[in-house]
Amino acid sequence: MFEVRTFGGKLVLQIVITLMVIPFVFPLIAMIQGSLAGTGWNNYAVVLGISQLPLFFLNSAIIAVSVIAVVYVCTMLAAFGFSKLHIRGKEFYFWLLLAALTLPEVVLITPLFVTTTSIGIYNTYWAVIIPLAALQIPFTVLLARNFMDGVPDALIEAARIDGASTWKAFRYIVLPLTSPIAAALVVLTLIGTWNDYLMPLVFLQSSSLQTITQVPDFFISEFSNDQTKILAAAVITAIPEVVAYLLLQRLFERGLSAGALK
Amino acid sequence: MNKSLRFRGYAYIIPALVISVGLIYFCIGYTGYISTLNWDGVSPDPIEVGFQNFLKLFNDADFWRALSHTAIFFVAAFVFQAGLGFVFAALLHSKVKLAGVYKVLIFLPVVLAPATMAPVFRQIYSPTGQFNAVLGFLGLHWLEQPWLGQVSTSLAVITSIAVWSGMGVSFILYFAAMSQVDPEVLEAARIDGAGNFRTLVSIVWPSVRGTTLAIAILTAIASLKTFDIPWLVAEAGPNYSTEFLGTFIYREAIPLNAVGYASAISIMLLILALVVAITLRVIGRDRSAD
Repeated sequence: MFEVRTFGGKLVLQIVITLMVIPFVFPLIAMIQGSLAGTGWNNYAVVLGISQLPLFFLNSAIIAVSVIAVVYVCTMLAAFGFSKLHIRGKEFYFWLLLAALTLPEVVLITPLFVTTTSIGIYNTYWAVIIPLAALQIPFTVLLARNFMDGVPDALIEAARIDGASTWKAFRYIVLPLTSPIAAALVVLTLIGTWNDYLMPLVFLQSSSLQTITQVPDFFISEFSNDQTKILAAAVITAIPEVVAYLLLQRLFERGLSAGALK
Repeated sequence: MNKSLRFRGYAYIIPALVISVGLIYFCIGYTGYISTLNWDGVSPDPIEVGFQNFLKLFNDADFWRALSHTAIFFVAAFVFQAGLGFVFAALLHSKVKLAGVYKVLIFLPVVLAPATMAPVFRQIYSPTGQFNAVLGFLGLHWLEQPWLGQVSTSLAVITSIAVWSGMGVSFILYFAAMSQVDPEVLEAARIDGAGNFRTLVSIVWPSVRGTTLAIAILTAIASLKTFDIPWLVAEAGPNYSTEFLGTFIYREAIPLNAVGYASAISIMLLILALVVAITLRVIGRDRSAD
Protein backbone atom coordinates (compact mmCIF):
# COMPACT_ATOMS: atom_id res chain seq x y z
CA MET A 1 0.00 0.00 0.00
CA PHE A 2 2.89 2.32 0.80
CA GLU A 3 4.91 2.74 -2.33
CA VAL A 4 8.48 3.51 -1.43
CA ARG A 5 11.27 3.46 -3.97
CA THR A 6 14.26 4.88 -2.14
CA PHE A 7 16.43 2.80 0.15
CA GLY A 8 15.96 5.31 2.96
CA GLY A 9 12.19 5.09 2.64
CA LYS A 10 12.28 1.31 2.75
CA LEU A 11 14.43 1.46 5.86
CA VAL A 12 11.96 3.83 7.54
CA LEU A 13 9.06 1.43 6.81
CA GLN A 14 11.05 -1.49 8.18
CA ILE A 15 11.89 0.43 11.35
CA VAL A 16 8.30 1.61 11.83
CA ILE A 17 6.85 -1.88 11.60
CA THR A 18 9.55 -3.31 13.87
CA LEU A 19 8.84 -0.68 16.52
CA MET A 20 5.11 -1.36 16.23
CA VAL A 21 5.57 -5.11 16.61
CA ILE A 22 7.70 -4.81 19.76
CA PRO A 23 4.76 -4.31 22.20
CA PHE A 24 3.16 -7.45 20.78
CA VAL A 25 6.28 -9.55 21.21
CA PHE A 26 7.29 -8.05 24.54
CA PRO A 27 4.92 -10.12 26.75
CA LEU A 28 6.12 -13.31 25.04
CA ILE A 29 9.73 -12.42 25.75
CA ALA A 30 8.84 -11.49 29.33
CA MET A 31 7.11 -14.87 29.66
CA ILE A 32 10.07 -16.88 28.40
CA GLN A 33 12.61 -14.79 30.27
CA GLY A 34 10.61 -15.05 33.50
CA SER A 35 10.27 -18.81 33.08
CA LEU A 36 14.06 -19.11 32.95
CA ALA A 37 14.73 -16.83 35.92
CA GLY A 38 16.00 -18.24 39.20
CA THR A 39 16.81 -21.89 38.66
CA GLY A 40 16.79 -21.67 34.84
CA TRP A 41 15.77 -24.77 32.88
CA ASN A 42 15.22 -26.52 36.15
CA ASN A 43 11.87 -24.66 36.37
CA TYR A 44 10.75 -26.62 33.33
CA ALA A 45 12.03 -29.86 34.79
CA VAL A 46 10.00 -29.26 37.96
CA VAL A 47 6.84 -28.38 36.03
CA LEU A 48 7.22 -31.34 33.66
CA GLY A 49 7.82 -33.58 36.66
CA ILE A 50 4.33 -32.94 38.01
CA SER A 51 2.34 -36.12 37.61
CA GLN A 52 -1.00 -34.42 36.80
CA LEU A 53 0.38 -32.43 33.86
CA PRO A 54 -0.11 -35.13 31.18
CA LEU A 55 -3.67 -35.49 32.42
CA PHE A 56 -4.37 -31.77 31.92
CA PHE A 57 -3.06 -32.03 28.36
CA LEU A 58 -5.01 -35.20 27.69
CA ASN A 59 -8.27 -33.67 28.93
CA SER A 60 -7.80 -30.55 26.82
CA ALA A 61 -6.91 -32.71 23.81
CA ILE A 62 -9.94 -34.98 24.24
CA ILE A 63 -12.26 -31.98 24.54
CA ALA A 64 -10.64 -30.08 21.65
CA VAL A 65 -10.64 -33.05 19.26
CA SER A 66 -14.25 -33.92 20.09
CA VAL A 67 -15.46 -30.35 19.67
CA ILE A 68 -13.58 -30.01 16.37
CA ALA A 69 -15.12 -33.26 15.11
CA VAL A 70 -18.66 -32.20 16.05
CA VAL A 71 -18.19 -28.69 14.67
CA TYR A 72 -16.63 -29.98 11.44
CA VAL A 73 -19.40 -32.44 10.64
CA CYS A 74 -22.24 -30.07 11.57
CA THR A 75 -20.68 -27.07 9.83
CA MET A 76 -19.84 -28.73 6.53
CA LEU A 77 -23.26 -30.35 6.21
CA ALA A 78 -25.09 -27.18 7.21
CA ALA A 79 -22.98 -24.88 5.04
CA PHE A 80 -23.66 -27.14 2.03
CA GLY A 81 -27.36 -27.20 2.85
CA PHE A 82 -27.58 -23.43 3.29
CA SER A 83 -25.44 -22.67 0.26
CA LYS A 84 -26.51 -25.21 -2.34
CA LEU A 85 -29.79 -26.93 -1.48
CA HIS A 86 -33.37 -25.73 -1.74
CA ILE A 87 -34.69 -25.82 1.79
CA ARG A 88 -37.94 -24.14 2.71
CA GLY A 89 -37.38 -21.26 5.12
CA LYS A 90 -33.63 -21.75 5.13
CA GLU A 91 -32.85 -18.05 5.46
CA PHE A 92 -34.96 -17.97 8.60
CA TYR A 93 -32.98 -20.87 10.10
CA PHE A 94 -29.75 -19.19 9.05
CA TRP A 95 -30.84 -16.00 10.76
CA LEU A 96 -31.65 -17.96 13.94
CA LEU A 97 -28.16 -19.37 13.84
CA LEU A 98 -26.56 -15.95 13.31
CA ALA A 99 -28.46 -14.37 16.20
CA ALA A 100 -26.81 -17.00 18.40
CA LEU A 101 -23.44 -15.42 17.52
CA THR A 102 -24.12 -12.69 20.02
CA LEU A 103 -24.49 -15.11 22.92
CA PRO A 104 -21.81 -14.94 25.64
CA GLU A 105 -21.02 -18.27 27.25
CA VAL A 106 -21.52 -16.84 30.73
CA VAL A 107 -25.25 -16.67 29.92
CA LEU A 108 -25.28 -20.43 29.42
CA ILE A 109 -23.91 -21.25 32.86
CA THR A 110 -27.07 -21.32 34.93
CA PRO A 111 -29.37 -23.18 32.53
CA LEU A 112 -26.60 -25.61 31.61
CA PHE A 113 -25.76 -26.23 35.23
CA VAL A 114 -29.36 -27.13 36.03
CA THR A 115 -29.75 -29.21 32.86
CA THR A 116 -26.48 -31.13 33.09
CA THR A 117 -27.00 -32.01 36.75
CA SER A 118 -30.55 -33.20 36.09
CA ILE A 119 -29.61 -35.44 33.14
CA GLY A 120 -26.48 -36.67 34.88
CA ILE A 121 -23.72 -35.41 32.58
CA TYR A 122 -22.46 -32.73 34.98
CA ASN A 123 -18.75 -33.29 35.64
CA THR A 124 -18.26 -35.27 32.41
CA TYR A 125 -16.56 -34.23 29.15
CA TRP A 126 -19.99 -33.92 27.51
CA ALA A 127 -20.98 -31.03 29.75
CA VAL A 128 -18.18 -29.02 28.11
CA ILE A 129 -18.01 -30.51 24.60
CA ILE A 130 -21.61 -29.90 23.56
CA PRO A 131 -21.92 -26.27 24.75
CA LEU A 132 -18.55 -25.35 23.25
CA ALA A 133 -19.54 -26.90 19.92
CA ALA A 134 -22.88 -25.09 20.06
CA LEU A 135 -21.10 -21.77 20.59
CA GLN A 136 -18.65 -22.34 17.71
CA ILE A 137 -21.10 -23.55 15.07
CA PRO A 138 -22.82 -20.22 14.24
CA PHE A 139 -19.54 -18.55 13.26
CA THR A 140 -18.07 -21.54 11.42
CA VAL A 141 -21.30 -22.03 9.46
CA LEU A 142 -21.23 -18.35 8.48
CA LEU A 143 -17.64 -18.66 7.21
CA ALA A 144 -18.16 -22.01 5.49
CA ARG A 145 -21.38 -20.91 3.80
CA ASN A 146 -19.64 -17.84 2.37
CA PHE A 147 -16.85 -20.10 1.16
CA MET A 148 -19.20 -22.62 -0.44
CA ASP A 149 -21.13 -19.82 -2.16
CA GLY A 150 -17.92 -19.40 -4.14
CA VAL A 151 -18.09 -22.99 -5.42
CA PRO A 152 -19.91 -22.84 -8.79
CA ASP A 153 -23.37 -24.42 -8.81
CA ALA A 154 -22.53 -25.76 -12.27
CA LEU A 155 -20.12 -28.26 -10.71
CA ILE A 156 -22.92 -29.78 -8.67
CA GLU A 157 -25.40 -29.68 -11.55
CA ALA A 158 -22.89 -31.51 -13.69
CA ALA A 159 -22.43 -34.17 -11.05
CA ARG A 160 -26.20 -34.54 -10.75
CA ILE A 161 -26.58 -34.94 -14.51
CA ASP A 162 -23.94 -37.65 -14.38
CA GLY A 163 -26.20 -39.43 -11.92
CA ALA A 164 -24.57 -38.53 -8.62
CA SER A 165 -26.83 -38.14 -5.60
CA THR A 166 -26.80 -34.95 -3.53
CA TRP A 167 -24.72 -36.77 -0.96
CA LYS A 168 -22.16 -37.89 -3.54
CA ALA A 169 -21.95 -34.38 -4.99
CA PHE A 170 -21.29 -33.09 -1.50
CA ARG A 171 -18.85 -35.81 -0.53
CA TYR A 172 -16.81 -36.06 -3.74
CA ILE A 173 -17.17 -32.66 -5.42
CA VAL A 174 -17.68 -29.98 -2.77
CA LEU A 175 -15.91 -31.37 0.28
CA PRO A 176 -12.50 -31.84 -1.42
CA LEU A 177 -12.56 -28.13 -2.38
CA THR A 178 -13.07 -26.94 1.18
CA SER A 179 -9.66 -27.57 2.74
CA PRO A 180 -8.88 -23.85 3.33
CA ILE A 181 -12.13 -23.30 5.19
CA ALA A 182 -11.64 -26.58 7.04
CA ALA A 183 -8.24 -25.33 8.21
CA ALA A 184 -9.78 -22.04 9.34
CA LEU A 185 -12.48 -23.99 11.15
CA VAL A 186 -9.97 -26.27 12.87
CA VAL A 187 -7.75 -23.39 14.01
CA LEU A 188 -10.65 -21.23 15.21
CA THR A 189 -12.31 -24.11 17.04
CA LEU A 190 -9.00 -25.20 18.52
CA ILE A 191 -8.36 -21.67 19.81
CA GLY A 192 -11.89 -21.36 21.17
CA THR A 193 -11.80 -24.75 22.87
CA TRP A 194 -8.23 -25.08 24.07
CA ASN A 195 -8.32 -21.55 25.50
CA ASP A 196 -11.71 -21.82 27.13
CA TYR A 197 -11.58 -21.17 30.83
CA LEU A 198 -15.13 -20.77 32.06
CA MET A 199 -16.77 -24.02 30.93
CA PRO A 200 -14.17 -26.40 32.42
CA LEU A 201 -14.05 -24.23 35.54
CA VAL A 202 -17.77 -24.59 36.16
CA PHE A 203 -18.64 -27.97 34.67
CA LEU A 204 -15.60 -30.14 35.43
CA GLN A 205 -15.19 -30.50 39.14
CA SER A 206 -13.04 -33.64 39.52
CA SER A 207 -9.35 -32.91 39.67
CA SER A 208 -8.85 -35.72 37.12
CA LEU A 209 -10.91 -33.78 34.53
CA GLN A 210 -9.15 -30.41 34.74
CA THR A 211 -7.94 -28.81 31.51
CA ILE A 212 -4.91 -26.82 30.43
CA THR A 213 -6.48 -23.44 31.23
CA GLN A 214 -6.87 -24.48 34.88
CA VAL A 215 -3.12 -25.09 35.07
CA PRO A 216 -2.07 -21.57 36.18
CA ASP A 217 -4.57 -21.72 39.07
CA PHE A 218 -3.27 -25.17 39.92
CA PHE A 219 0.33 -24.00 39.90
CA ILE A 220 -0.43 -20.89 41.89
CA SER A 221 -1.69 -23.11 44.71
CA GLU A 222 0.94 -25.81 44.12
CA PHE A 223 3.97 -23.52 44.15
CA SER A 224 2.48 -20.87 46.45
CA ASN A 225 3.18 -18.17 43.88
CA ASP A 226 6.61 -19.23 42.62
CA GLN A 227 6.34 -16.98 39.58
CA THR A 228 9.14 -18.68 37.61
CA LYS A 229 7.41 -22.09 37.72
CA ILE A 230 4.06 -20.53 36.88
CA LEU A 231 5.57 -18.89 33.80
CA ALA A 232 7.33 -22.11 32.80
CA ALA A 233 3.93 -23.80 33.01
CA ALA A 234 2.44 -21.01 30.87
CA VAL A 235 5.08 -21.57 28.17
CA ILE A 236 4.49 -25.33 28.17
CA THR A 237 0.71 -24.96 27.88
CA ALA A 238 1.07 -22.47 25.03
CA ILE A 239 3.31 -24.67 22.87
CA PRO A 240 0.66 -27.00 21.33
CA GLU A 241 -1.37 -24.06 20.04
CA VAL A 242 1.61 -22.23 18.64
CA VAL A 243 2.67 -25.38 16.78
CA ALA A 244 -0.83 -26.01 15.47
CA TYR A 245 -1.14 -22.42 14.30
CA LEU A 246 2.25 -22.43 12.56
CA LEU A 247 1.44 -25.68 10.77
CA LEU A 248 -1.97 -24.53 9.55
CA GLN A 249 -1.16 -20.85 9.14
CA ARG A 250 -1.27 -20.55 5.34
CA LEU A 251 -4.43 -22.58 4.88
CA PHE A 252 -6.00 -20.79 7.83
CA GLU A 253 -5.43 -17.35 6.35
CA ARG A 254 -6.74 -18.39 2.95
CA GLY A 255 -9.83 -19.91 4.50
CA LEU A 256 -10.53 -16.98 6.77
CA SER A 257 -10.16 -14.49 3.93
CA ALA A 258 -12.32 -16.53 1.57
CA GLY A 259 -14.97 -16.99 4.24
CA ALA A 260 -14.95 -13.48 5.64
CA LEU A 261 -14.78 -11.40 2.46
CA LYS A 262 -18.39 -11.18 1.48
CA MET B 1 -38.45 -30.83 -6.35
CA ASN B 2 -40.00 -33.98 -4.95
CA LYS B 3 -40.68 -34.61 -1.29
CA SER B 4 -37.79 -36.96 -0.55
CA LEU B 5 -35.24 -34.48 -1.89
CA ARG B 6 -36.67 -31.68 0.21
CA PHE B 7 -36.46 -33.92 3.25
CA ARG B 8 -32.83 -34.67 2.45
CA GLY B 9 -32.13 -30.94 2.30
CA TYR B 10 -33.31 -30.58 5.87
CA ALA B 11 -31.13 -33.52 6.87
CA TYR B 12 -28.04 -31.45 6.05
CA ILE B 13 -28.86 -28.53 8.29
CA ILE B 14 -30.55 -30.42 11.13
CA PRO B 15 -27.43 -31.52 13.08
CA ALA B 16 -26.14 -27.94 13.30
CA LEU B 17 -29.58 -26.58 14.15
CA VAL B 18 -30.23 -29.17 16.87
CA ILE B 19 -26.88 -28.70 18.60
CA SER B 20 -26.48 -24.96 18.20
CA VAL B 21 -29.90 -23.35 17.82
CA GLY B 22 -31.56 -26.02 19.96
CA LEU B 23 -29.19 -25.74 22.87
CA ILE B 24 -28.73 -21.99 22.71
CA TYR B 25 -32.40 -21.07 22.41
CA PHE B 26 -33.30 -23.60 25.07
CA CYS B 27 -30.79 -21.93 27.37
CA ILE B 28 -32.11 -18.47 26.55
CA GLY B 29 -35.67 -19.55 27.24
CA TYR B 30 -34.64 -21.23 30.45
CA THR B 31 -32.64 -18.16 31.51
CA GLY B 32 -35.72 -16.03 30.81
CA TYR B 33 -37.75 -18.27 33.13
CA ILE B 34 -35.11 -18.26 35.90
CA SER B 35 -34.88 -14.47 35.67
CA THR B 36 -38.37 -14.29 37.17
CA LEU B 37 -37.32 -16.32 40.21
CA ASN B 38 -35.60 -15.60 43.46
CA TRP B 39 -33.41 -18.68 43.47
CA ASP B 40 -30.00 -19.92 44.64
CA GLY B 41 -29.76 -22.57 41.90
CA VAL B 42 -30.20 -25.65 44.11
CA SER B 43 -33.14 -25.20 46.49
CA PRO B 44 -36.16 -27.27 45.36
CA ASP B 45 -38.75 -24.49 45.60
CA PRO B 46 -37.68 -21.15 44.16
CA ILE B 47 -39.89 -18.12 44.78
CA GLU B 48 -41.61 -16.48 41.81
CA VAL B 49 -40.94 -12.76 41.83
CA GLY B 50 -42.11 -11.65 38.38
CA PHE B 51 -40.06 -8.76 37.06
CA GLN B 52 -38.59 -7.75 40.39
CA ASN B 53 -35.10 -8.89 39.39
CA PHE B 54 -35.24 -6.46 36.48
CA LEU B 55 -36.46 -3.61 38.68
CA LYS B 56 -33.61 -4.33 41.06
CA LEU B 57 -31.23 -4.36 38.11
CA PHE B 58 -32.22 -0.89 36.91
CA ASN B 59 -31.62 0.50 40.39
CA ASP B 60 -28.36 -1.38 40.91
CA ALA B 61 -25.33 0.92 40.69
CA ASP B 62 -23.15 -2.19 40.14
CA PHE B 63 -25.01 -2.90 36.90
CA TRP B 64 -24.56 0.61 35.52
CA ARG B 65 -20.91 0.57 36.55
CA ALA B 66 -20.31 -2.72 34.72
CA LEU B 67 -22.18 -1.34 31.71
CA SER B 68 -20.15 1.87 31.61
CA HIS B 69 -16.89 -0.11 31.83
CA THR B 70 -18.12 -2.22 28.92
CA ALA B 71 -18.90 0.89 26.87
CA ILE B 72 -15.55 2.56 27.57
CA PHE B 73 -13.78 -0.71 26.83
CA PHE B 74 -15.64 -1.10 23.53
CA VAL B 75 -14.73 2.36 22.25
CA ALA B 76 -11.06 2.07 23.23
CA ALA B 77 -10.69 -1.53 22.02
CA PHE B 78 -12.35 -0.72 18.69
CA VAL B 79 -10.24 2.37 18.04
CA PHE B 80 -6.97 0.60 18.83
CA GLN B 81 -7.76 -2.73 17.20
CA ALA B 82 -9.11 -1.20 14.01
CA GLY B 83 -6.41 1.50 13.88
CA LEU B 84 -3.46 -0.78 14.55
CA GLY B 85 -4.90 -3.59 12.42
CA PHE B 86 -5.30 -1.19 9.48
CA VAL B 87 -1.80 0.25 9.78
CA PHE B 88 -0.19 -3.17 10.17
CA ALA B 89 -2.11 -4.49 7.16
CA ALA B 90 -1.07 -1.49 5.05
CA LEU B 91 2.57 -1.85 6.11
CA LEU B 92 2.64 -5.56 5.38
CA HIS B 93 1.19 -4.94 1.92
CA SER B 94 4.17 -2.66 1.25
CA LYS B 95 6.95 -5.10 0.42
CA VAL B 96 8.71 -4.97 3.77
CA LYS B 97 11.31 -7.64 4.45
CA LEU B 98 10.36 -10.67 6.58
CA ALA B 99 6.63 -9.94 6.18
CA GLY B 100 5.81 -13.57 7.01
CA VAL B 101 7.58 -13.33 10.36
CA TYR B 102 5.81 -10.10 11.30
CA LYS B 103 2.46 -11.65 10.40
CA VAL B 104 3.05 -14.62 12.68
CA LEU B 105 4.20 -12.37 15.54
CA ILE B 106 1.12 -10.17 15.20
CA PHE B 107 -1.30 -13.08 15.15
CA LEU B 108 0.35 -15.21 17.83
CA PRO B 109 -1.35 -13.39 20.76
CA VAL B 110 -4.76 -14.36 19.32
CA VAL B 111 -3.80 -17.99 19.60
CA LEU B 112 -2.64 -17.84 23.22
CA ALA B 113 -5.16 -18.41 26.00
CA PRO B 114 -5.97 -15.48 28.31
CA ALA B 115 -5.71 -18.04 31.10
CA THR B 116 -2.13 -18.79 30.04
CA MET B 117 -1.16 -15.15 29.64
CA ALA B 118 -2.85 -13.80 32.79
CA PRO B 119 0.07 -14.59 35.14
CA VAL B 120 2.45 -13.04 32.61
CA PHE B 121 0.51 -9.78 32.46
CA ARG B 122 0.09 -9.68 36.22
CA GLN B 123 3.85 -9.77 36.46
CA ILE B 124 4.52 -7.27 33.67
CA TYR B 125 2.22 -4.64 35.20
CA SER B 126 3.20 -5.31 38.83
CA PRO B 127 4.99 -2.49 40.71
CA THR B 128 8.33 -4.29 40.21
CA GLY B 129 7.40 -5.60 36.76
CA GLN B 130 8.81 -5.13 33.28
CA PHE B 131 6.48 -2.30 32.30
CA ASN B 132 7.79 -0.06 35.06
CA ALA B 133 11.32 -1.25 34.23
CA VAL B 134 10.88 -0.12 30.62
CA LEU B 135 9.55 3.26 31.77
CA GLY B 136 12.55 3.61 34.06
CA PHE B 137 14.87 2.63 31.22
CA LEU B 138 13.32 5.37 29.08
CA GLY B 139 13.93 7.88 31.87
CA LEU B 140 10.25 8.12 32.78
CA HIS B 141 10.62 7.18 36.45
CA TRP B 142 7.86 9.57 37.48
CA LEU B 143 5.38 7.44 35.49
CA GLU B 144 6.12 4.24 37.39
CA GLN B 145 3.11 3.05 39.39
CA PRO B 146 1.20 -0.07 40.48
CA TRP B 147 -0.79 -0.25 37.22
CA LEU B 148 -3.13 -3.07 38.20
CA GLY B 149 -3.33 -2.18 41.88
CA GLN B 150 -5.12 1.16 41.56
CA VAL B 151 -8.57 2.12 40.33
CA SER B 152 -7.33 4.92 38.08
CA THR B 153 -5.30 2.72 35.70
CA SER B 154 -6.67 -0.83 36.01
CA LEU B 155 -9.34 -0.52 33.32
CA ALA B 156 -6.82 0.92 30.86
CA VAL B 157 -4.44 -1.97 31.58
CA ILE B 158 -7.19 -4.56 31.07
CA THR B 159 -8.12 -2.85 27.80
CA SER B 160 -4.51 -2.88 26.62
CA ILE B 161 -4.30 -6.63 27.31
CA ALA B 162 -7.51 -7.21 25.35
CA VAL B 163 -6.12 -5.16 22.43
CA TRP B 164 -2.92 -7.19 22.58
CA SER B 165 -4.79 -10.46 22.36
CA GLY B 166 -7.43 -9.40 19.82
CA MET B 167 -5.70 -7.07 17.37
CA GLY B 168 -4.44 -9.96 15.22
CA VAL B 169 -7.99 -10.69 14.11
CA SER B 170 -8.63 -7.18 12.78
CA PHE B 171 -5.19 -7.24 11.17
CA ILE B 172 -5.96 -10.50 9.30
CA LEU B 173 -9.35 -9.19 8.18
CA TYR B 174 -7.90 -5.89 6.92
CA PHE B 175 -4.99 -7.70 5.30
CA ALA B 176 -7.40 -9.90 3.36
CA ALA B 177 -9.65 -6.96 2.44
CA MET B 178 -6.70 -4.90 1.18
CA SER B 179 -5.62 -7.62 -1.23
CA GLN B 180 -8.99 -7.04 -2.96
CA VAL B 181 -8.31 -3.34 -3.59
CA ASP B 182 -7.89 -2.88 -7.32
CA PRO B 183 -4.20 -2.10 -8.02
CA GLU B 184 -5.22 -0.03 -11.06
CA VAL B 185 -7.21 2.35 -8.88
CA LEU B 186 -4.16 2.81 -6.65
CA GLU B 187 -1.99 3.33 -9.71
CA ALA B 188 -4.40 5.93 -11.09
CA ALA B 189 -4.39 7.81 -7.79
CA ARG B 190 -0.60 7.86 -7.81
CA ILE B 191 -0.46 9.14 -11.36
CA ASP B 192 -2.85 11.91 -10.27
CA GLY B 193 -0.21 12.85 -7.72
CA ALA B 194 -1.70 11.39 -4.54
CA GLY B 195 0.98 10.56 -1.96
CA ASN B 196 1.10 7.44 0.21
CA PHE B 197 -0.85 9.01 3.03
CA ARG B 198 -3.49 10.49 0.74
CA THR B 199 -3.98 7.17 -1.08
CA LEU B 200 -4.37 5.36 2.21
CA VAL B 201 -6.96 7.79 3.57
CA SER B 202 -8.94 8.48 0.39
CA ILE B 203 -8.80 5.15 -1.44
CA VAL B 204 -7.83 2.26 0.82
CA TRP B 205 -9.72 3.24 3.97
CA PRO B 206 -13.09 3.75 2.20
CA SER B 207 -12.73 0.53 0.24
CA VAL B 208 -12.29 -1.59 3.39
CA ARG B 209 -15.28 -0.02 5.14
CA GLY B 210 -17.11 -3.35 5.18
CA THR B 211 -14.26 -4.82 7.17
CA THR B 212 -14.24 -1.90 9.60
CA LEU B 213 -17.93 -2.46 10.19
CA ALA B 214 -17.40 -6.19 10.73
CA ILE B 215 -14.65 -5.37 13.25
CA ALA B 216 -16.98 -2.93 15.02
CA ILE B 217 -19.64 -5.64 15.35
CA LEU B 218 -17.13 -8.28 16.46
CA THR B 219 -15.59 -5.89 19.03
CA ALA B 220 -18.99 -4.83 20.36
CA ILE B 221 -20.05 -8.42 20.88
CA ALA B 222 -16.65 -9.31 22.36
CA SER B 223 -16.93 -6.35 24.78
CA LEU B 224 -20.29 -7.57 26.01
CA LYS B 225 -18.82 -11.05 26.41
CA THR B 226 -15.62 -9.91 28.17
CA PHE B 227 -14.91 -12.19 31.09
CA ASP B 228 -11.60 -14.05 30.94
CA ILE B 229 -9.14 -11.16 30.94
CA PRO B 230 -10.56 -8.94 33.74
CA TRP B 231 -11.41 -11.96 35.86
CA LEU B 232 -8.10 -13.79 35.46
CA VAL B 233 -5.82 -10.79 35.55
CA ALA B 234 -7.52 -8.67 38.20
CA GLU B 235 -10.58 -10.59 39.52
CA ALA B 236 -12.55 -7.59 38.23
CA GLY B 237 -10.82 -5.38 40.79
CA PRO B 238 -9.41 -3.48 42.51
CA ASN B 239 -12.66 -2.28 44.06
CA TYR B 240 -14.68 -3.48 41.01
CA SER B 241 -12.85 -1.06 38.72
CA THR B 242 -12.61 -3.74 36.00
CA GLU B 243 -16.07 -5.21 36.50
CA PHE B 244 -17.75 -6.09 33.19
CA LEU B 245 -21.19 -7.54 32.53
CA GLY B 246 -19.58 -10.98 32.12
CA THR B 247 -17.78 -10.87 35.46
CA PHE B 248 -20.86 -9.36 37.12
CA ILE B 249 -23.05 -12.27 35.94
CA TYR B 250 -20.42 -14.79 37.02
CA ARG B 251 -20.04 -13.20 40.46
CA GLU B 252 -23.79 -13.19 41.07
CA ALA B 253 -24.35 -16.70 39.69
CA ILE B 254 -21.46 -18.68 41.19
CA PRO B 255 -19.85 -17.08 44.27
CA LEU B 256 -23.04 -15.30 45.42
CA ASN B 257 -25.56 -17.97 44.29
CA ALA B 258 -28.03 -15.31 43.15
CA VAL B 259 -29.01 -17.35 40.11
CA GLY B 260 -32.29 -15.56 39.45
CA TYR B 261 -30.64 -12.16 39.49
CA ALA B 262 -27.73 -13.37 37.34
CA SER B 263 -30.27 -14.61 34.77
CA ALA B 264 -31.95 -11.19 34.68
CA ILE B 265 -28.56 -9.60 33.93
CA SER B 266 -27.98 -12.27 31.25
CA ILE B 267 -31.25 -11.39 29.56
CA MET B 268 -30.34 -7.68 29.59
CA LEU B 269 -26.97 -8.56 28.10
CA LEU B 270 -28.59 -10.55 25.28
CA ILE B 271 -30.98 -7.72 24.48
CA LEU B 272 -28.07 -5.28 24.41
CA ALA B 273 -26.02 -7.57 22.16
CA LEU B 274 -28.84 -7.90 19.65
CA VAL B 275 -29.62 -4.17 19.70
CA VAL B 276 -25.96 -3.30 19.18
CA ALA B 277 -25.48 -5.83 16.38
CA ILE B 278 -28.62 -4.65 14.56
CA THR B 279 -27.78 -0.94 15.07
CA LEU B 280 -24.28 -1.36 13.66
CA ARG B 281 -25.66 -3.26 10.68
CA VAL B 282 -28.18 -0.53 9.99
CA ILE B 283 -25.51 2.17 10.27
CA GLY B 284 -23.36 0.15 7.88
CA ARG B 285 -26.18 -0.19 5.39
CA ASP B 286 -26.98 3.54 5.45
CA ARG B 287 -23.37 4.46 4.88
CA SER B 288 -22.86 2.07 1.99
CA ALA B 289 -26.06 3.39 0.38
CA ASP B 290 -24.48 6.85 0.04
